[in-house]
Amino acid sequence: MSWLSRLNPRGPGSRTGRSAAPSGPCTADPETCLMVFENHWRQVSWVLEQQEPSSSSDDLTAVRNHTDQMLCLLAEERPAESAEGGAAPMGPILELVVTENILERLVQWHLRRGLDSDSQGALLKLFEMLIGQSQQQPLLQHTAVLHPLLRLLGACADPDLGCPLALENSLVLLLNQICVSMARQPVVLEMLFRAAPAQQGSTNLLIFSLLVPFIHRDGAIGQQARDALLLVMAASASNEAVARYIAENSYFCPLPPPEAVSRASSQVLATGLSALYSSLPRKIEVRGDDWHALRREDWMSVSSLVLFMNSLEFCNAVVQIAHPLVRSQLLDYLHNGFLVPVMGPALHKSSVDEMIASTAYLDLFLRSVSETSLLKTFLRFILLHRHDNDTILDTLLTRISSNSRLCMVSLSLFRTLLSLNCEDVMLQLVLRYLLPCTHVMLSQRQAIRVTDLYGKSADKFLSLIPECCRLNAASSAERDEDGAFWGKVVNSPSIESPAPPRPSTPSRLAFFIRQQSSGGGPGGGGPSTPTSTEPPQSGASHPPCPDSPMHQQLANTECLDWDSGYLEYLKDSRQGIEICSWACRDWSAPYDGENPSPNVAAPPPPPPTSNPTMAMFPEHFSLQQGGSGSTPPPGQQRAAVVAVARSEWSSSERDSGEWDVTIGKNNCISLTPRSKKRSLQREEVLPKPLPRLVPSSSSSSSTSSSSSSSSSSSSSSSATPLSSTHAASSPAPHNPTSAVTVGYQAMCNGMAGQEDGCSDNRDRGLEVKKVKRDLGEQQYLDENANQNGSLVTCSSQGCAALPQSIFNDSEMSDAKSPRPNQIPSQGPVAPLVSDAKPPAGDASKPCLASSDLPEANQAQQSVESLIRELLEQAPGEPQLPGDSNGQGISIEAFTQELRELEDRVRERGRAACQQEETARECLSSERRQPQQEEEQQPPSVPEPKPPTGDTKGDGPALVFGSPARPLNKPASQPYTGPFMVVLFAKLENMLQNSLYVNILLTGIVAQLACYPQPLLRSFLLNTNMVFQPSVKSLIQVLGSVKNRIEAFAASHEDFPAMLKKAQQYLVARGKVDWADSPAAVPNLRRSDSLVKSRKPSLGELILRHTNSPTRARHAAQLALAHVRDGGQSLHSALFKGGAGAGSLEKQAEALRVKNAVYCAVVFCEFLKELAALAQEHAVTLPFPHSQEAEE
Amino acid sequence: MNLNPFWSMSANTSRKQRTDSEEQSGHSEQRASPARLPFGKKQLPPIPKNAAPITKPASTGTLAPSANGTHASYGPFYLEYSLLAEFTLVIKQKLPGIYVQPSYKSALMWFGVIFIRHGLYQDGVFKFTVYIPDNYPDGECPKLVFDIPVFHPLVDPVSGELDVRRAFTKWRRNHNHIWQVLMYARTIFYKINTTEPLNPEAAVLYEKDVQLFKSKVVDSVKLCNSHLFDQPKMDDPYAISFSPWNPAVHEEAKERMFTYKRRPDDHHKGTQVSGLSWVKPGSMQPFSKDDSPPQS
Repeated sequence: MSWLSRLNPRGPGSRTGRSAAPSGPCTADPETCLMVFENHWRQVSWVLEQQEPSSSSDDLTAVRNHTDQMLCLLAEERPAESAEGGAAPMGPILELVVTENILERLVQWHLRRGLDSDSQGALLKLFEMLIGQSQQQPLLQHTAVLHPLLRLLGACADPDLGCPLALENSLVLLLNQICVSMARQPVVLEMLFRAAPAQQGSTNLLIFSLLVPFIHRDGAIGQQARDALLLVMAASASNEAVARYIAENSYFCPLPPPEAVSRASSQVLATGLSALYSSLPRKIEVRGDDWHALRREDWMSVSSLVLFMNSLEFCNAVVQIAHPLVRSQLLDYLHNGFLVPVMGPALHKSSVDEMIASTAYLDLFLRSVSETSLLKTFLRFILLHRHDNDTILDTLLTRISSNSRLCMVSLSLFRTLLSLNCEDVMLQLVLRYLLPCTHVMLSQRQAIRVTDLYGKSADKFLSLIPECCRLNAASSAERDEDGAFWGKVVNSPSIESPAPPRPSTPSRLAFFIRQQSSGGGPGGGGPSTPTSTEPPQSGASHPPCPDSPMHQQLANTECLDWDSGYLEYLKDSRQGIEICSWACRDWSAPYDGENPSPNVAAPPPPPPTSNPTMAMFPEHFSLQQGGSGSTPPPGQQRAAVVAVARSEWSSSERDSGEWDVTIGKNNCISLTPRSKKRSLQREEVLPKPLPRLVPSSSSSSSTSSSSSSSSSSSSSSSATPLSSTHAASSPAPHNPTSAVTVGYQAMCNGMAGQEDGCSDNRDRGLEVKKVKRDLGEQQYLDENANQNGSLVTCSSQGCAALPQSIFNDSEMSDAKSPRPNQIPSQGPVAPLVSDAKPPAGDASKPCLASSDLPEANQAQQSVESLIRELLEQAPGEPQLPGDSNGQGISIEAFTQELRELEDRVRERGRAACQQEETARECLSSERRQPQQEEEQQPPSVPEPKPPTGDTKGDGPALVFGSPARPLNKPASQPYTGPFMVVLFAKLENMLQNSLYVNILLTGIVAQLACYPQPLLRSFLLNTNMVFQPSVKSLIQVLGSVKNRIEAFAASHEDFPAMLKKAQQYLVARGKVDWADSPAAVPNLRRSDSLVKSRKPSLGELILRHTNSPTRARHAAQLALAHVRDGGQSLHSALFKGGAGAGSLEKQAEALRVKNAVYCAVVFCEFLKELAALAQEHAVTLPFPHSQEAEE
Repeated sequence: MNLNPFWSMSANTSRKQRTDSEEQSGHSEQRASPARLPFGKKQLPPIPKNAAPITKPASTGTLAPSANGTHASYGPFYLEYSLLAEFTLVIKQKLPGIYVQPSYKSALMWFGVIFIRHGLYQDGVFKFTVYIPDNYPDGECPKLVFDIPVFHPLVDPVSGELDVRRAFTKWRRNHNHIWQVLMYARTIFYKINTTEPLNPEAAVLYEKDVQLFKSKVVDSVKLCNSHLFDQPKMDDPYAISFSPWNPAVHEEAKERMFTYKRRPDDHHKGTQVSGLSWVKPGSMQPFSKDDSPPQS
């Protein structure tokens, strides 16, 4: 409504001042005025009556002067004393005007003598003044005023005469005044409606057609035009005839449209949007690595965006107020004239930049639109529209798995989508996959609706808080002061049950609430009876005692902020759940496993084999690492990334990645959660190098190819990448241009190099897993790189360009994502790589190395290739094929480590090589035949492979068969949908994700966990549920993250210190900023403006105890964006010297450590949040349907 | 609750009372279908600012986690939330004529009142207290004690305790819930069981001399109702107390109860479009509900 309210002050408001205090001459008595008027008129009419229009300027001047006076008098005239009651009679001047048809004659005269722009402008101003100032009499209701006005406007609309640029302001102002009058006097609208056709022919409502061209204008003109149009729309909403007219006749139709004569108005709006969209920046330059969404302050300075947003807001306003006919037409055009033809392709651009930009735009649009029907149009487009066979949703989903920026932007978009609490969205994203209930064991189906009354799930979640993260708690434990004992039965008749000693006092909850509110210190409650027994679990506690946080809060002042907060999580969860269930109360079904019936539910779409057209970014998928935790890296050598990488990787091998990724030719990716069994099988099987898309992709656009290849490589993990590399390298000319491409190839090469001779595809099998690991790491590295622009810069040798725009880096990283794969083994190198992107040229070499060269050479080459990669990473730089070395990077440092890695790889490779000779062949021609693997694999397995994409047989198949997945899993294969799969995959990779990604990611999962639908709730939060083996549960994913964190902590002696520092730092930051932004709860719908004012604070993220965690996190997300350099400063704060000195690898390692430490922090908070959500779900009451009880 | 115009029930505090004002014919003891959604509001009882909680030494000793990994020990949050969840279930059940409210001092003690609308005990208004073992849900079944011992075969004539255990010989968590106890407490007034009575006199009378039994019941009911306005036995801010109908106070409260619409606590947060759904019931297809899809 802002629009309407804005309107009021404008037109009438400003005028009222004047009219309210009529001044001077005008107040003279009516008779005098009339005499003066008549006098003027006499002079004028004398001129007018001359037969042939004189061209004399004297005449013109005279007429103009007199007219000025006359109209002034007319404007100021008050109606005659009303003869009691009835409509006030016209004042004498007006009467004269009407009877003599003065205005008409004036205008006619002007027209007859040829309207020059000068007098046209003068007339426009005159009329504007007349209408604007005549508050006393409804002038427009008189045809003697209206018709000449229309005639004048008609002249403006005349293609021959037109309206000179200089007069546009006057014209729009006049139109605006007319519309204001219309809004006040609906009669006028009807008169216009009636009068216009007769005079104007098809373009009846001249006013509309004149206004429309201006509605997309910048500045005041546009604003006035939009305001005016809205007024008309609003007026039309109550007038069926007018509405129909607007809808059916293009009276808006201003433009030349020949046959398009019809329905132009809406069209204009829609096409206007399209035009404006096309002028939006293709690439968003952002500085912060945390940037993930457009906020108001982001776009206020971009004029094209401002323009677009104004127009969108206008559409929103029109939809809001216009007649249903008009509205539906507008929505129609919006869908078919803007979303489909413009937005669709924009989202599918091949360059990462453009993808990021368009995704961010879409997110912004969704957040800005407030009208339900307009929102529906957008959602419909996202969910149902198919662009190249894939729905927009599919496309967007695949981006989550990409690296860094694109991932964050996509996550942000999904957060927006989830925040709508829209059934249709949730159905498509998640619920339809859960509806058949095939993800749970048959015997468990009834458990879907069971609520966890006794907190077992919460307990389970809390138990996953890594031991190493509970350090702080221990100390505080002793201090536990326990006051109230709410749980204790006060007067109960003896409770006979020899109840085991109650663990602790439930009353704490209440107790703390009280304390908090009163601000009282610890122990506020009464005699503190230290329950010695209750030692806060944190310390020694094995089974995590849920309540511990509280204790700690009291006790440990320093870490208090950090460790406490469970109560806040509870509160926040309650609120989140309530709001969500409130919003969902009108859904069509409860989704409780019975309604809709699982049997009736249409089988969900199979795993994505065919869908995502988009290029995938491998990294994400690569995650894997599943149970690695169990085997903490032996090495204590904390430092060497390599070591870590290795350990992880080794562990990962054991796990066998959980996800299989299959990439189709079209870059279609399918994710398949892999059952453990499978993984085992996999190991046995030689993974064939996945047929990388490389060939095809490379052929297409460089970027796309790169991305695709990368995706494939990443997905497939090591094996695949190699193959792809080969393929790509040989056939594909490097496309130096696209950094991305280069990066990928480089990666591929890198891999190959590492693998050495064996590298050929053979190893793949082994490597695949490894790769996954690696990928994960790399990813993280990349992200790091992104985060610290500075670091990146440094590392990237020549690439001065890189540094600044993290954005670029991120992109680069995305493209390079593949590297991560390679990196794995090269641990140390990887980081470097990420920083500097390798040029495409590498690709070729790697190939050689891998296949042709002797091992030694290969090794060298691989190193070289890595270096090149680094070099290439430099954004702008074209690939430097051979010369990579030069670039001033100190390679030596990591060379050695690299060698070590390579050696390892080689060893493996050899073994593998022997086994698979064939692989090469496969590569080139088919690229992997999945068959072998497939054979081994159980038929059922045909999974949709998860991103990780081990080289499954499927992968290849997919590749070839792109769209149609030959190997599709049998329909029966349980599949929880791409969204969950991607989220879980990303989640599993938390340790490598940047802080920002993790914040977004956990926020989204928590958001999902707020949904009250039993299907979803049980899937996410019921830890007792037994799923089908192939279905991965959240708890499993978290368990694996926990293990990884513990493994990491074990390998870093100073982990506790770092953790503490990180916590303190974040808390401190949060405190600083929290104060001024207490109420700044980002409004989901219109967050921009609210957020604008807030100060950045990383710490809000963690400052959960003070304020609600979710909100804090949300706020933090937004705030983070402000801290452009936050990452760096943080980093340096945490690890002194990390940024500045040191070799690349050190920096890389530092980044890696930083991510891991922050991950630990976020992870613990996330677990608390999930536990709180689980508990709150048990005590939430559903809301009745709105018809039943509401509004 | 148009039961008795002479008094009204009110909690001491401003706590919103759930309003199951629905009248249910006395015989329909069936559990209200879960689908019925109450307007009641669940929440932890608010804590009055000045009321100091009674503190009690906590018992010592933590339960050892059971060997097989299941958690036998429930942390405080778990216990409290378990009880809260039980309370939520009670609300969902919409037990006819039964109202309960957890004590301020302990989540393990609930105050309640039951209105009998038909049968021998018609017009009876019995206040009671539920005591939940603190090792809930692993302990015995909760106890239910009437403030005034009702004349009934299953109610101890001295302590007022209802023989609950006969209905819940073994308290099985996940299967047994507190609302079932409440339901049971209601049932006994409609369906008299005389086996193994706690009040043998009542049992014998019921068997041998129903008329006398009835008259005794009437006396008992009268007695109970005559003590309706007594101060609650328990000095607890959340104890249920009755006071004579006072339009000045109760009209408004009643009005509020009937008009109360539950909304999320933090409703201002966002004018969010809520309840978005274009799914036609039963279709499970997005945007199946409506009409005018943009024609392509």
